[in-house]
Amino acid sequence: MRVELIEKIEGEAKLEYKFKENKIDFVKIVFPHYRGIEEILRNRPVWDALAINPRVCGICGHAHLFATVRAIENLYQNAGIDVNITEKAKLIREITLFCEHIQNHLKWIYLVIVPIMKSIAKINIDQNSFLEIQKAIVNINRVLAIFSGQWPHSSYMVPGGVVCDPTNLDIMQARNFLKNALYIVEKRVFENMAFEEITVSELEKSRTDSGKIFRFLKENSLLSIGKANDRYLIFGEHSFTKRVKIIKTVSYPVKIKYVKEKSQKSGFAKNVTYKNNYYETGPLARMMLLKPNLIKQLHRVYKDGISTRIFARVLEILFLLKKVEAHLNSIELSQKSYNHIKTEIKEGFGESAVEAARGSLIHKIWIEKNRIKKYEIITPTQWNLSNGTLQNPATAQKAMIGLKNSKLAELVFRTFDVCSVCTTH
Amino acid sequence: MKSKIVWIQGVTCNGNSHSFLNYQNLDIFLKKVEFLYHPLLPSKYSLKELYEKRFDFDVLIVEGAIKKRYERGIVSLYTLIEKLSLKAKKIIAVGTCATFGGVFKSYDEKNIKGLIFDGEEKKGFFKELEEKVINIPGCPAHPEWLIYVLNMIEAKKKILLDDFLRPKEIYAYTVHSGCIRNEYFEWKVDAKSFGTKEGCLFYEQGCQAPYTHGSCNKILWNEVNSKTRVGMPCLGCTEPTFMKEEPFKTKTYMSIPANMPLGVPKRAYLTLTGVAKSFKIERLTKRLIDES
Repeated sequence: MRVELIEKIEGEAKLEYKFKENKIDFVKIVFPHYRGIEEILRNRPVWDALAINPRVCGICGHAHLFATVRAIENLYQNAGIDVNITEKAKLIREITLFCEHIQNHLKWIYLVIVPIMKSIAKINIDQNSFLEIQKAIVNINRVLAIFSGQWPHSSYMVPGGVVCDPTNLDIMQARNFLKNALYIVEKRVFENMAFEEITVSELEKSRTDSGKIFRFLKENSLLSIGKANDRYLIFGEHSFTKRVKIIKTVSYPVKIKYVKEKSQKSGFAKNVTYKNNYYETGPLARMMLLKPNLIKQLHRVYKDGISTRIFARVLEILFLLKKVEAHLNSIELSQKSYNHIKTEIKEGFGESAVEAARGSLIHKIWIEKNRIKKYEIITPTQWNLSNGTLQNPATAQKAMIGLKNSKLAELVFRTFDVCSVCTTH
Repeated sequence: MKSKIVWIQGVTCNGNSHSFLNYQNLDIFLKKVEFLYHPLLPSKYSLKELYEKRFDFDVLIVEGAIKKRYERGIVSLYTLIEKLSLKAKKIIAVGTCATFGGVFKSYDEKNIKGLIFDGEEKKGFFKELEEKVINIPGCPAHPEWLIYVLNMIEAKKKILLDDFLRPKEIYAYTVHSGCIRNEYFEWKVDAKSFGTKEGCLFYEQGCQAPYTHGSCNKILWNEVNSKTRVGMPCLGCTEPTFMKEEPFKTKTYMSIPANMPLGVPKRAYLTLTGVAKSFKIERLTKRLIDES
């Protein structure tokens, strides 16, 4: 067995490889850390989760906040209490969530994917690219902060809406920051911002970093490595997603009650299955639902190999930038930001799901005597990086089996945009 | 020659690392320094090399709380810090976890601490390093706070510190200073609800800004905003008491906030409140922006 430490994935993981006839026969994924968030929440007043849960993760704290708010709102609804969220508050919540996705995906390309590609073969993306793209990240996080007060770690969403009350001036500033980010992304990542229209031949010719990444994969015969189970899950319900599983290209409805979490002997991450099967969640699942040209074309040829997975995430950047722009234009400022909810309930249960950058995030809350009795968090990386068996490998394991060396396996592993801190909350 | 920095992580959510990447002049700053190790940015060494190699560097940055048996690379976090701290000329604890133990301390009170402090007490795992350490608490720390400290170290300038080893230039202020809701605080007009521009969050919504050290409303977050400006109560994240129970409710004693603004005696506050409330300032009871 050969063990390798994988760093800079929001913490670390260990990959334990077994080789057979010079090919990877099996890989075990181990996450070594644990911080005890679910225990910290126990016996706390319910709203404390709003302040604690963003601290699950430094990069998707808003997704955890959003999931927390929805879980508490669901708790109230299950107790028969009316929860009315205005359209304005819904749009603001989505704007900040989508901004968080965008900045995450940009960091993933330049800090996670490009460096591992460089260690495999020559790629014409220079060291300073990240510093240029960082200006786009700064601007996106400014859009976020206009509404949430700061990024990272804000608790600006509360049951009933959001705490902010933006003005036209705020919207104007947000639009300007977004424009700056759009300009940089268009110049550096993709020159054609028409997300639905991009084709494989256009991608291949592109002078931007997306084109360079595609050509790198093609020249090194890597376009179709990293195929997993071709099964996808989406649980978060947003303006462009719904609760579905997608098997190959067909969608079916799903329910959270069939999700099962199970502890593993080694490491602190828990395995997650849906009706005992492993699924992929994240941008590829979301793009398989939206079916833009590029993903349809890539999937037809390379199935769920790394090229489809990588460009699903790249394409989602373009899609979400346009979505944020449209949401900013749709906000009706005269609507209320927050509707007070009567909260006199002593015990109950609530659950929620949101789409975090890396995929479906599920929160469950049980309360007793008006305090948290139990809190459960299931993160996207748990879905993508569970450990199955040799006969029934989980998503990332399946994608790494059969590869010739651990460097390629690491590239495949990193295409899932691993979040170690979330996984070992 | 560029300053050499090693940035390692303890028990953390990575919030300080990501906060740092929001610094608007990162490109200029990175021309002055070299990260021999950073948890996100490309850097010279791997975690394994960090422990095995011999090298000189200037500043050790520690993000996250300290737990003795916490794995980091090929050794325990404690062993890694022990080794690196010998070479480091200065050590910066970035964030409340590295400073006081922070949020994760409540998972394992006894075994999770800050570098020098364990909550309010100077009983951290590395208290013998006090002379070298500068604390920048915050959940997370603002990138400009960290850049300021690094610049001061590089320029060999003296940084004045408070009792918790926090730079006074950052933490002598309260979060309340510069809040755009200050007028409501002065005249004791409370925010009736979340989701409004009007009213002070100190009286009902749990805001800890008047007794929390930090410059969140002087050096704005992401250069545009702050929690309190947007209508969210300050959680007191720069203090050893972070995170208090019920941060969205103000604890009161005989209907007066239980925690006073910094340095204000309760009796004086009561007198002041009585006087302030006797003014009926119509402007402050209306919507800030309306059609009339």
